[in-house]
Amino acid sequence: MDDQACPRCKTTKYRNPSLKLMVNVCGHALCESCVDLLFLKGSGSCPDCNVPLRRSNFRVQLFEDPMVEKEIDIRKRVLKDYNKKEEDFATLREYNDYLEEIETIVYNLTNNIDIVGTNKRIEQYKKDNKEIIMKNKAKIGREEVELEEILEIEKQMEELRRQEINRLEQEAKKQKIREKEALIDELMFAEGDAKEILNTFAQNKANKQEEVLPAVPKVTQFSTGVKFTRLSTQPTLPLIEEGPLYKYEAPIVPDRCGPDAPSIEDIVRCGYLKHVRAENETEKAGGYKSTLPCLRALQDALAGLYHTS
Amino acid sequence: MFSTSSQRKFWTFSDEGELAILREKHNLNYISKHGTHIDEFQRYNFFLSPDEERLLLKQYELHLKEFCKRFSPPMPKGVVGTAFHYFKRFYLYNSTMDYHPKEILATCVYLACKVEEFNVSIGQFVANIKGDRDKASDIILNNELLLMQQLNYHLTIHNPFRPVEGFLIDIKTRCSLANPERLRGGIDEFLEKVFLTDACLLYAPSQIALAAVLHAASKEQENLDSYVTDMLFRDAGQDKLAILIEAVRKIRSLVKMVESPAREKVRIIEKKLDRCRNQENNPDSEIYKRRMRELLDEDDLPHTGSSRMSLDTSGVSTVLSPSAS
Repeated sequence: MDDQACPRCKTTKYRNPSLKLMVNVCGHALCESCVDLLFLKGSGSCPDCNVPLRRSNFRVQLFEDPMVEKEIDIRKRVLKDYNKKEEDFATLREYNDYLEEIETIVYNLTNNIDIVGTNKRIEQYKKDNKEIIMKNKAKIGREEVELEEILEIEKQMEELRRQEINRLEQEAKKQKIREKEALIDELMFAEGDAKEILNTFAQNKANKQEEVLPAVPKVTQFSTGVKFTRLSTQPTLPLIEEGPLYKYEAPIVPDRCGPDAPSIEDIVRCGYLKHVRAENETEKAGGYKSTLPCLRALQDALAGLYHTS
Repeated sequence: MFSTSSQRKFWTFSDEGELAILREKHNLNYISKHGTHIDEFQRYNFFLSPDEERLLLKQYELHLKEFCKRFSPPMPKGVVGTAFHYFKRFYLYNSTMDYHPKEILATCVYLACKVEEFNVSIGQFVANIKGDRDKASDIILNNELLLMQQLNYHLTIHNPFRPVEGFLIDIKTRCSLANPERLRGGIDEFLEKVFLTDACLLYAPSQIALAAVLHAASKEQENLDSYVTDMLFRDAGQDKLAILIEAVRKIRSLVKMVESPAREKVRIIEKKLDRCRNQENNPDSEIYKRRMRELLDEDDLPHTGSSRMSLDTSGVSTVLSPSAS
């Protein structure tokens, strides 16, 4: 059963399949249209707990339980400040205590236990460890840059490898052609038995292939140790089935049941336009030309003249 | 284009005999349906005959013309032509005893305003009608859908007005006729009369337009015969020319025969109609009022039922959803 429902407007997933629940920092869900309605001005308070919220902080609820969403939010916020690494501690014990503390804070905030005290604790921690926090933040930034550099280098390596493989393939092709030519030359000019010559050439070829085989060991993993997921280097694109090509066919002009009206060129050439109101500048901008009503009136006049009852 | 239109396919008839048969048929239908309690002989005194119906409709066509002429804001000619078409088409398949022409007339003009994109609101429209305006707007709006249905939703009308413009442009360009604009007076007068005849149910709008142009020319002592034979029908052949000449002759003779029906006769017919008309469609009758009330009540019933239902379900959903509590 799918009983996701907006607590405010009671719309369920069943009644509105495109229902999207959104959550904010307080963890109370609202559907998209309620969010639009309540947070028209950009900010407002949660209808469930009256906590002031910003509209920009709403995001799509990923987990069924809104508490999980709330916890994720809080954890993100807390970890921004509690960003010490194992290296920052003297012993493993201290590090574990530190982790324990983080969990306690997150748990308290999520379950509304002693919020004021916990927030004070965070403030205190921030004040005490200002420098370390700043340092670690910078460190994380640096680490990210380094990671990107590594990725860039990997890309270049990959490019080089591909070029190498291409070159080798070209060479092999040329080699084959050369061998074939040599074989034909040999057959044309040598005195010996043709069968024997063929055999020796086949032997040579087999030998050569054995030499070539243990070339370039294939790289199967990134420098980080992650295995390639795709083994073939050149994926085959799936062929898209296409219908027959569109062919233009001129529309069938129905029998007008009367004499033919002059064409637009005739209207211009024979001076019909002298007797209709010329278009003004405004009408020209809209694409209107006096030839159109003129042609229409003439067509209407002539169509149906042959009508018989 | 007229040649592919519903107007040609369904509403242009071969001759006046065909029209007469259609009109007689619905007259007989009405009498046999509503005259079961009256004996054979008295029926003819009680109900309208096809001829009487015809006379009455002619009178109302005159009313229609006058109404459109006096309409404010002034109405384009196309609206008038379209309204005439609707009116004539409606009474080809319906009897005046079933639907009073007074009501259908106003509805036809109202629908024509809409179709010809002459924008007037219903309030503006009924301001042109004498008497109780609320009642009039009720009648018009009630009949509008009926009218459209009876017209089989063939709402596009090809009027002769644009073809007239086409002929005038063509004549100015290809003929040596001096000052063709002076024909306009004669043309307008002719077209006004054409709509009092059945010509628009029998001929193509361009044929009517050509008849109007030729009529106006002959009134001005001009002759456009060479324009027709040497320019329009140069490549067409004798048989087609003969058909056109016959059509123009017929249209002109129809227009010549137009005369307003005698006042006295029409008054008698109207009195007769008041007695024999279908009371179910008479907005002043008790039957009609009762039926409308019943319809209203019927509309109300399922409505209240559904609102109660929705109340119930909303109650259930508040109980079921845990996050609401």
